[in-house]
Parts: sequence; structure tokens; C-alpha cells
Amino acid sequence: MGSIDTPAVEENGSTQTPDATYTNGDGSSPPPAAADSAIARLGNESFRSNKRRSSMLPLEVGTRVLCRWRDVKFHLVKVIERRRMQCGGPNDYEYYVHYTEFNRRLDEWVRLEQLDLASVETVVDEKVEDKVTSLKMTRHQKRKIDETHVEGHEELDAASLREHEEFTKVKNIATIELGRYEIETWYFSPFPPECNDSLKLYFCEFCLNFMKRKEQLQRHMRKCDLKHPPGDEIYRSGTLSMFEVDGKKNKVYGQNLCYLAKLFLDHKTLYYDVDLFLFYVLCECDDRGCHMVGYFSKEKHSEESYNLACILTLPPYQRKGYGKFLIAFSYELSKKEGKVGTPERPLSDLGLLSYRGYWTRVLLDILKKHKGNISIKELSDMTAIKAEDILATLQGLELIQYRKGQHVICADPKVLDRHLKAAGRGGLEVDVSKLIWTPYKEQG
Amino acid sequence: MSRLSFRPRPLDITKKLPIVKNFKDFEDEEAPTSTRTQMLRIAAEADNEVQVQQVPSKKAASEIPTPQFVVVDTYERDYSRTFSQPTSYLRARGARAEIGEFVEYDLDNEDEDWLQEFNKEKKTLAAEKFETILFKLEVLDHKARERAGVITPTLASPIPVLLTFDAAVEALQSFSIKYGVFQSIYNYWKEKRERWQKPVLRRLQPPPPVNDTNPYNVFRPREKSHRLHTRRMQRRENNVQSFEKLRQVRRNLDQAKTLLEALIKREEKKRDVMENEVSLQRIQLKYKHETELLEDSLALPGFSSFPSKFASSEEEFVDSDDYSNSRPHPRPLMLQNSAFMDSKAAMASAGSIKREFGRRQAPYGWLHKLDPLEPLLLFTKPLDPEKLAGAGIAPPSDSSMPDGASACSWNIRGRIGRGGRIVFDRWNPLMHTPIDCGETLYIPPKPRPSSQFM
Repeated sequence: MGSIDTPAVEENGSTQTPDATYTNGDGSSPPPAAADSAIARLGNESFRSNKRRSSMLPLEVGTRVLCRWRDVKFHLVKVIERRRMQCGGPNDYEYYVHYTEFNRRLDEWVRLEQLDLASVETVVDEKVEDKVTSLKMTRHQKRKIDETHVEGHEELDAASLREHEEFTKVKNIATIELGRYEIETWYFSPFPPECNDSLKLYFCEFCLNFMKRKEQLQRHMRKCDLKHPPGDEIYRSGTLSMFEVDGKKNKVYGQNLCYLAKLFLDHKTLYYDVDLFLFYVLCECDDRGCHMVGYFSKEKHSEESYNLACILTLPPYQRKGYGKFLIAFSYELSKKEGKVGTPERPLSDLGLLSYRGYWTRVLLDILKKHKGNISIKELSDMTAIKAEDILATLQGLELIQYRKGQHVICADPKVLDRHLKAAGRGGLEVDVSKLIWTPYKEQG
Repeated sequence: MSRLSFRPRPLDITKKLPIVKNFKDFEDEEAPTSTRTQMLRIAAEADNEVQVQQVPSKKAASEIPTPQFVVVDTYERDYSRTFSQPTSYLRARGARAEIGEFVEYDLDNEDEDWLQEFNKEKKTLAAEKFETILFKLEVLDHKARERAGVITPTLASPIPVLLTFDAAVEALQSFSIKYGVFQSIYNYWKEKRERWQKPVLRRLQPPPPVNDTNPYNVFRPREKSHRLHTRRMQRRENNVQSFEKLRQVRRNLDQAKTLLEALIKREEKKRDVMENEVSLQRIQLKYKHETELLEDSLALPGFSSFPSKFASSEEEFVDSDDYSNSRPHPRPLMLQNSAFMDSKAAMASAGSIKREFGRRQAPYGWLHKLDPLEPLLLFTKPLDPEKLAGAGIAPPSDSSMPDGASACSWNIRGRIGRGGRIVFDRWNPLMHTPIDCGETLYIPPKPRPSSQFM
């Protein structure tokens, strides 16, 4: 992003026909022949749109327009917010846009040059409509909203969803530096007000303190005495280590971790203090220290048998099997406690995928080997997966069927293998023999 | 919702389910597996809206785009290669605050800008030293507030600066810093600290109050016991009100127990009454039978007073029985009260109600007109003509009776049969006689030869 050659884009944007530019995602530019004729045909139109442009600027919040994304294709966006450029004329704005087809995590600030003004829809402002729907909604309207905000929001009611989106609609921090990586953030995070004038934050990768300037980080690194999370190492296998950090004993670390995690989790709340949580921080270790790749948090005492509150793999480490390792680890802890567990809801789109993959793999591996009848309860006892999750998984795969007046589990090896393949790789294995851990309740 | 009809029978999670390995076994049979699974799936999806079909979401997984990241080029310089992992698992040490030597504070932009300005002429103050002093000032101020006992659990109001300059100078003598420089630092810190209205060091900032709903304020203290999720759990909260509520529940249950015990006693009595009545009727039937036999041969006088005694006692039984049947509502009420009354009063009130009932019953005393020998129909209740009229039911006028006997409605015997039907008997079902013949002792020849009795 940001590498787009601006004047060229602007020209392109205004000469392309609306028809051609509406091919969201696939087939970005029109075939040459079609474009030629289109240009000829649309000489007038581009003139008219130029005229229209000057009157429509700056764009109103709520405008729908096409925007050039990092794949150099145009995508439909909605303007969420706008702000004056620091160095520019009174009408030079940049716009915070939401790509309608993507998750909110891809919302970003763009410059005018990235927008195709010829595609601006004439009916712009939805504010009035929005206000009406927020007051009182029929079930149909509610469903409509749910549908338009699909991923990860299914379990929130429309009112709290609106509140959530209003409060978090614009990312405050655009990028962070954490250890080896500079990472684009995904969501808003409620950092202390002192940090809100900064687009970039520098995190110490060990104690997770955050600073606004690189020099501050460098000075911090010279004095920072941590090389690993400030808790007990409870697992080590190869270069992979897991640390348990008590939120009460290491309040600042716990809070830093939450601020950081919120940048990548839409529905995490930082409303309450970290005292009641344990943080399990997964690290890759080398001679520079133990580098956090992800973590999950867990309530010390959960009334609802949650064995996991928040789970995150940091973006540079995603799609390497760490998430599944974290999930598997959370169930290993539950097994040691002798309890069944389930993750706190709502799960994000990515979280749900990982969990479903894990459940599928664990359950189908058992079904493949098991001889004789088996109850859901027995599966639950073997795996520490909550019975409801087992049912949902097996029913989702259509493995539980109703035959001759009773439920049966269909375990055709071919079908199971197909599902196992679809569920993906198991990620990194948890070697239980290397877990040295005492449940919180039994700790002194 | 029409979807309800698709809901599969709930699955018992403790029940052992057969595992079918071969799908073929399954498909051979003609049973509608496919539609059934379809239904199962639909229902499952209805149950759990998160449930997305496996295949499409899996496909989407590889396509979910995420924001990007790049490698920081200064990383290898900033982070030194000085870590060596011990062979044993690492153990936590005390938190930084407990160790005490670590400078927890990092200069922020404002501090750096001030420092740059301060050092403009000549470099008199190193950033590290400045950082350390600011940190110490924060800690000293916090300690001063602790001593003064003004530490608030939450950030409700601005937190004042209590550390005086003199106290700070005294505490930080060991830093061997020039008086003027220190004064500048102190003034800078105090100005910043008063502007912030809270400690600069994050660890020392109190959390927002529990009732603060501003979503920008985070990490509120939380008392686990107050986080009750459902209304039912809220009702069970452990406090005086719940205690009172539970005590009330206990009182109510005790009363209900007394009530039920009384009810049991009453029902036992009723059963005794019924048994007596049945045996009475048996005796009566037997007696009547014998009378008929006697009538056939020789009439025996002087027996007439005997059955009438029977009848009157019978009436007593019917009375009490009907009383409890027809007035089910006042009875429990009275019983409830009786728990608080002495037994005499209870008996008195019971007696008065009975008398009242007897009076009401009196005008329709068709029972008296009955043949005293005729056994009473058990399990039936007399009709109340007033109520009949109120419901618009007129007793059938018997046109077959020319003497106008039909004018007296109680000659038509009406009763409420079992199951609540209203029955008007033209024939006495037991005696097989027309109703108005029942008054006399005359018994017409039976339709069937009475050989069976002989």
C-alpha cells in the first residue's frame, strides 16, 4: 500500500467505464479493445463526471465509491470517516474506508487519488437511515444488519454491535513495531489517551511496554531486563516454550498484552482488569530471547467452564499451526484439571475456523480408531471438549444421523478422511510429557 | 416457525451411539436417510447460527485477507544476542515493582522534547538520568500519598501531588545532581503531574471506577461474585433479601405440609364413609331382596320404621359427601385458617357451614319422597333445579302422565351422573320401575320373570 503512482491512477480512474470498474475482485481492468471503444463512447461522460467531482468534494461520510486496494484492483468501499490532510488545501482530505467485501480489519486511511470518483453513488448519506434502525428494529431489519456484518458478529445483538462499531470504527494506531516485525494493525484498541496522537507504537517485545518513538524503544531496550514473559515456563519442546503469567502478579505486563492483543481482535474487551486471568504466552526462543508468537488468556475461575477467553496468533506467525497448538494446549490444561472446557464466545472468523478444525481432527481421529459404541459424553471425557461443541461439530459434518429410531455416528473411513483433509494440518503437536504444570487452584 | 417441525429428536449425550463404518449398509435400505440428514442439518443450523457449512468456510479460509507486516531492519542491532536458555524451565522472579532497582518509567515525547530544550546550550542531563529521576519522583509521591492515607481504589477525582520539593531533594541526595537541574526537573514533573491529574507512571494510576461506562477507560476492578449472568442467578444472590425470601418459602412449604396432612386425613375418612356406604347398600339390597321374597309369600308388618332409619342416616352421609364435592374451594381455605385457630373454633365453623348446606338442601328433599327401601344411587348427585333453570335446561315434561304429575318437577328424577352428565331417569335404573311408581310400595310385575331371584 502507499506505493501507488498517484497521477496515473487518477487518470485511469476517471476514464474507466463504471461497468468495467465494477468487476470487484476478479478481472481488474477491462480488455483493451473494450476499453478503447468505451473511451470513445464515454468522452462526454468523463467530462461530466469531472464537473460533478468538484461539487461532490470533499466526500461525505457514508459515500459508497470504488477504491484501489493493495491488489491494484478496485473494490467497493464505504467512507467511514474523513480528516483534513496535515499539509494541503482546505479541501484536501483523506478518507477512512471500509471495503464492503472484507472484514473490518482491512479498513484503512486512503488518499483521494485511490478513489474512483466516477463511481460515486448518487445516493450517499445513510446517516438518517442508520439512526432509525438503531432505535427500533424489526427482526427483519436486525437480520439485515447481521447479514451485512457477517464475520464474527453473529452472537452480538444489533444494538451492542452498533455501539461497538461506533466506538471502534476508526483504528487509532495504524502500525506497531514488535521485535522483528512492523505489523499493520487490524482493529481499534483503547490505548491511554497519551498515545492517541500517534499512528505508530513501538513495543518492547519482552515486557510489551509501548512507546511512541523509536529512540524511546532503543533506550528502553538498553535497560530492559526481560528476555522472556515474566512468568513460569510450563512447557518446552525444541525452540517452543509456553509461559504462564499471572495477571495479578504482573499487572502491567497483562495490561500491555491486552492493549496489544486488542489491535488484532475485534471483540476483545478491556473493560475489566487482568487480575482474574492467567496468560499463556507461546514463544519461539533463540539467542536474543523468547519471542512471543501468540497467547491465550484464561479465567482463573470460570463459572461457565470456559477454558479460554482470548486467543491470538500475531500476524507474522499466522498460518503456521501456532493457533491450533494454542487451542490444543488449552484442552491439555483442561484435561489436567479434569474438567471439560469451551472457548468464550463470540469467536472471530479465524478463531472459529481454527476451533472447528481442531474439534474435527480430534473427534474424527477417535472415531476412526474406536471400536464399538460410544456416547457423546465419553467423547467429551476423553477430549475435554464440551458436549455441545462435539454435537455441533459432528452434526455440522453430517456424521450424526437418525436411523431406525436412534442416532448413529457415521464413520465411513473415506468420509472421515475427506473431512480430516478439509480440516487442515494439525499444526504443531503438544507433547503432554513436556507440560510441567500445576492448576491454579492447586497452586499455593 | 415452520422450522420447528424439522427439529430432530434430542440426542442423549450419555447414550452409547453405534458407529457405522460402512456407509453402504446404510444406503441400501429404502429409509429416507437423505431427507433426514437434510433435516438434521437444517435443524442444526437453526440451532447454532454460527454453524456455517464446512466446505465453503474452509475454502474461504485460504482467502480471508489480513493486513500485512514487514521486517524491521534495525531489529538485529536493537536486540542483543545475550540470551541463553537454561536447561531447566524458567521460573518467574518477582515483579519489577518488587525488585525495586529497575527504572519502570520510559520517557515520553513530551519529556524528550523538554529534555532537548533543557540540553540545548550544553549537555547537562542524560536521558537515562532524567528517566530515573522522574521515576523516583513518581514513586516518592506515591509513597507520600500512602503515608497520608489518600490512596483511592479507583480514579474518582484528580489525584493531588503530595511530594514537596524539599522532601524530594532529601530523598534523592544520593544522585549527586546539581540543585538547579534538580529544581528544573522537579518543576517540570510537578507541572506535568498536575496537568495529568493522575500519576504519570501507569502502574500507579488507579483503575477507573466500576460504574464508569466510558469504553475508552479500561481495566476496571471486578468483583467476581457480582457478575451474575441470568436473572435466576441474580435472584439467588447471597444477601438479607434472599434470606428473607427463602424463609418465606419455608413458611409457605410448612403450611402446605400441614394442609396436605389434613387433606390426607379427610380423604381417609371419606374412603371409610364410602366403604360403609357400599356395605350398607349391599345390606340394603340383600334386605330388599328378602322383602320381595317375603312379599310374595306373606307381608311382614313393623319393618317400615327400620328402613326409614336407614334412609335418614344415609342422608347424613350423602350430605357430608356432597358438601365436600360441591364446595371444593371454601374447604381448603378453611383448613388453612384452621392451622391458626383452635380446634373448637374450626369445628364450630365446619358445623355452621354444614347446617347452612342442610337448609339449602331441604326444599328439594326428593330423597325424603323416596322409597326408604330403595337403595340410594351411589356416585350420583342430585340436580339443583335453580341452577338448571339458570342454565336454560328444563326438565322433560312427561306427556305420558295424564294426571298432571309432571307439574311437580321433582317427580322427574334428575341427577348428575358420573362424568357430569345430567340424567333424567324415566325408569329407576335399579328397580326398573317408572319413576312415579317408586313412591309406593307396589311393585309391578317385572318385565322379566324373576326366576333369577328364585
